[in-house]
Amino acid sequence: MSYQLDFSFLSKSWPAFVAGTWLTIQLTSVAIALGFALGTLCALTRVYAHPLLRRLVAGYVEVIRNTPLLMQIFIVYFGIASLGLKLSADVSAVIALVVNMGAYTTEIMRAGIEAIPKTQVESADVLGLSRLQVIAHVMLLPAIERVYPALTGQFVLLMLASSVTSQISAEELTATAERVQSQTYRSFEVYVVVALVYLLLSLFFRVGFWAIGTVLFVRRRRLGTTR
Amino acid sequence: MTRRSIILAGVLAALACFAVGQAARADALDDIRQAKTIRIATDLGLPPYSMTDANMQPTGSDIETARLLARDFGVQLALVPTIAASRIPMLLTGKADLVIATLSITPDRAKVIDFSVPYATLRTVIAGIRGIKVETIADLTGKTVGVTRGTPNDLYLSETAKGVNVLRYEDDATTAEAFASGQVDLIATAELLLPPIAQKNTSRQIEIKYIIEAYKLAIGVKKGEPRLLQAVDSWVRTNLKNGKLNDIYKRFHGTDLPEVILKEGR
Repeated sequence: MSYQLDFSFLSKSWPAFVAGTWLTIQLTSVAIALGFALGTLCALTRVYAHPLLRRLVAGYVEVIRNTPLLMQIFIVYFGIASLGLKLSADVSAVIALVVNMGAYTTEIMRAGIEAIPKTQVESADVLGLSRLQVIAHVMLLPAIERVYPALTGQFVLLMLASSVTSQISAEELTATAERVQSQTYRSFEVYVVVALVYLLLSLFFRVGFWAIGTVLFVRRRRLGTTR
Repeated sequence: MTRRSIILAGVLAALACFAVGQAARADALDDIRQAKTIRIATDLGLPPYSMTDANMQPTGSDIETARLLARDFGVQLALVPTIAASRIPMLLTGKADLVIATLSITPDRAKVIDFSVPYATLRTVIAGIRGIKVETIADLTGKTVGVTRGTPNDLYLSETAKGVNVLRYEDDATTAEAFASGQVDLIATAELLLPPIAQKNTSRQIEIKYIIEAYKLAIGVKKGEPRLLQAVDSWVRTNLKNGKLNDIYKRFHGTDLPEVILKEGR
């Protein structure tokens, strides 16, 4: 064991790490927002829509959840370009992450929606709430509240999984690490630094989701059961 | 056993491993002779230097070089597969004794590892589809160029060329795919990769725009191992002189080694 740790590369390459981290945050935030919207829509479709549409959504979920994210990213980036539409690496990365996030969110949100007692929806109908009000306040919000831990867990996983977009030249945190590593050859130190940044990002996202949850779920807040 | 004592036992075990590791460390050349095995890191995705044949057996000029070296050292050869970006970490972390993987001599690399005398060459080029006019580095300004991350070409585009939009891919296959799919029209790559790329993309004919550099390839040795380095150096010189390295090169590349390399053996 004659390996000497040397972190001196940081003084020169920290701006690269900051830029990479920022792109990771951007990719993840956009993918979470759009993926969540897509997944929620698909979950509603899967529970309430025409059987044909339901099967379509089920097929989408199965295909995405049973293939590697890396393949999905390659297909978006190289496949669509082969057909003549040239998307940049960042846009391709976001599309692939949104499609991936959407499939996982569909299943999580479906569980949440199916856990809402039928009587609750019926009560809302009887009280004269409009269809949209019922969906928003009686179904979706309580459904999100129920599956919130699973949902936010999936969001954080997505943030970590965004590292594979480095393969198609998106210069996010992992790509930055590989580049710095290939120039300085301090691979072990670089990976330690990047792992730490990912850890901090995870904590940052978790705290953010907790705050959002506290604001969003009035009932939970009043009952004092926020986690 | 309480939890604390389990943790303590783990820490002690780890320390014990450390101590054993320290004690066993001697001269790398002696270690190789004692183990009767030499571990050589190589990248199997770089034909004709290194690839797998129809029976999935490793072959190529680098592989044959490694085999010849192991035979002459009188030890078993253990090939350690790696990728371009982790060739040097393999040496630094002690996972391989030598690197024979189209490793070109660069000043940055020479800071962290030692190089033997060169045994072969590799030319790197800017290549792209017909119709784009690129003749010098200045013509690259404002253009998008694909490259494999961590290669000297990456450094060349990032630091020497100005105003180039560099897209970095994980390995040569991905870079080739980026060209084939139309994501990039220009790539900086090794000359040897062009024939397979041209073969697979008849609709996007690739041509050499200009030559970036003719690199000398050397065998990588961990720093602080003068005896191993000396043994490898003299082995390369001997085999350049007796023509064996040239034979290997000619078998896979179709041409003789250039004069700059052959003169090392004299």
